[in-house]
Amino acid sequence: MLAAGFEFHTPADLSEALRLLADKGPEAKVLAGGMSMVPAVNLGLLRPTCVVSLNHVSGLDSIDDSGDELRIGALVRHARIVSDPAIRQHAPALAAAASVIGDVQVRNRGTIGGSVAHADPAADYLPVLVAFGATIVVQGPQGTRELPAREFFLGVMLTQLTADEIVTEVRVPKLPPGAGSGYARLARVEGAFAIANAAAFVDGSRCVIGIGAAVPAPVVTELALGSQPDDAGLERVAEAARAACEDAYDDLSGSAGYRRAMAGVYARRAVSLAIEARG
Amino acid sequence: MSAVKTSITVNGTQRDLDIDPRLTLVYLLRENLGLTGTHVGCTTGNCGACTVLLDGKTVKSCSIFAADVDGSELVTIEGLSTGARELHPIQQAFVDHQGLQCGFCTPGMVLSALALLEKNPTPSEDDIRHAISGNLCRCTGYQFIVESIQAAAAARA
Repeated sequence: MLAAGFEFHTPADLSEALRLLADKGPEAKVLAGGMSMVPAVNLGLLRPTCVVSLNHVSGLDSIDDSGDELRIGALVRHARIVSDPAIRQHAPALAAAASVIGDVQVRNRGTIGGSVAHADPAADYLPVLVAFGATIVVQGPQGTRELPAREFFLGVMLTQLTADEIVTEVRVPKLPPGAGSGYARLARVEGAFAIANAAAFVDGSRCVIGIGAAVPAPVVTELALGSQPDDAGLERVAEAARAACEDAYDDLSGSAGYRRAMAGVYARRAVSLAIEARG
Repeated sequence: MSAVKTSITVNGTQRDLDIDPRLTLVYLLRENLGLTGTHVGCTTGNCGACTVLLDGKTVKSCSIFAADVDGSELVTIEGLSTGARELHPIQQAFVDHQGLQCGFCTPGMVLSALALLEKNPTPSEDDIRHAISGNLCRCTGYQFIVESIQAAAAARA
C-alpha cells in the first residue's frame, strides 16, 4: 500500500531545508520523527507533494543547559528527554511527560520539535511547556522568531508556525531552587492518546497549571496556594482547571463535560506531584 | 518523483539502494530485500509487528520512510539467528515458554525484549510489561510472553 507520490529531500543543514520550503511552497511538509506524519501519509489523510526531512540536518539535536533556560534542539528524541540528566534536574515534568509518550519505539524516534509543530491537542509536552512558560524558537526566510509557548498553540494542530518556517528549538526555563513540577495524564491504556493532561509548576505560593488534551490548544491558569494545601486548597486547583477548560471538546474518548471534569482531577494530581517534588 | 539513493546496512550487509520515497522501511525490508520476518500489522505505528532495530534502538518500521535512513544500521529478526535450528536465546525462551500462538507479533516482541534486556538485564514484571507496551498480541493475553522474557533474563544472568 503506497501513498501518492512525492519528492523526498534530506538536507544536511538548516539553510538548505529552509530554502527547499521556500521553493516548494505550502504543499511541502517538514518531517521530523514522523510518528504522526508517516501514519497519516500511509492512511492517505496527508498527501504531500514534497517532504523535507530534518533527520539529517546537523545541529538540531543538542541539549544546552548552560544558561537559565534549557535549550532543547527540535530533533531531540523523546527517549533522550526522558533520560537526559539536565532535563531531569531542571525540568522534571518535561521528562515525566516524555516518558509516557506512545511506547518505547515511538519515544526512540519521535522528536520534541515534531510534537510541538504538529500540535496534537493530546500531546504530552504541551501542558508542561505552557506551565513552565517555555519559548518555541522557529526559523524561516525572515529569520528567527522566539514565540512564547502560551501564544504558539492556536487550536487543533494549529500553531503560529507558517509553512515556510521550521521549529528549531524549545527553551524551557529551569526550575528555580525550592520549586517543584509534576505531570499527570488520563488515558484509556498506556500509550493511548491523553483524554486530559495537566502539568503543574509550584514555586512558593505560586501555582501555575497547564492543561491539555481536554481542550483544542493548551491553556494555563494560575493561583496562589499554601505550601501544604489541604483538600479545600486542592479543590480550588480543580475548580481553576475546570474554569480554564471552557473550550473542552467532545470526541469518541469523552464528552466535553467529562474532559472538563477530568482536567480538574488531573490538575489536582499534577499539583500534588509538584508539591511532593519540591526541592 | 525520483528515487532517492540510500545506503544502509541490513543485518551486517551493506546495501546501496534507489528508493521510491513513498516506500516505508517495512516494505523495503519485505518486498525489496525479501526479509519477511518483519511483519506489517497496522501501518499506523500502533501494533509493533514491524519493530526493527535502527542504530541499536527499536523503532516501528511502518512509520519511517526508507529513504530517510541513509547511513543507518538496521537489524531485523533475521539478524538474530542463523536459522530455525539455531535460535537466539530470547527466541528459544519464547519457544520454551509458549510465548506465542499465531506468531504474528513475535518478531517485534523478541526485538523489544532484546532492547529491554540490553538496557536492563534484571527487569521486574512491570518493567517487562512497560517495555512491550508498544507491541500488541491478540492471542496470548501477554502472560506467557512476560514469562518468556523473564526466562530469557534469567538465562542471561
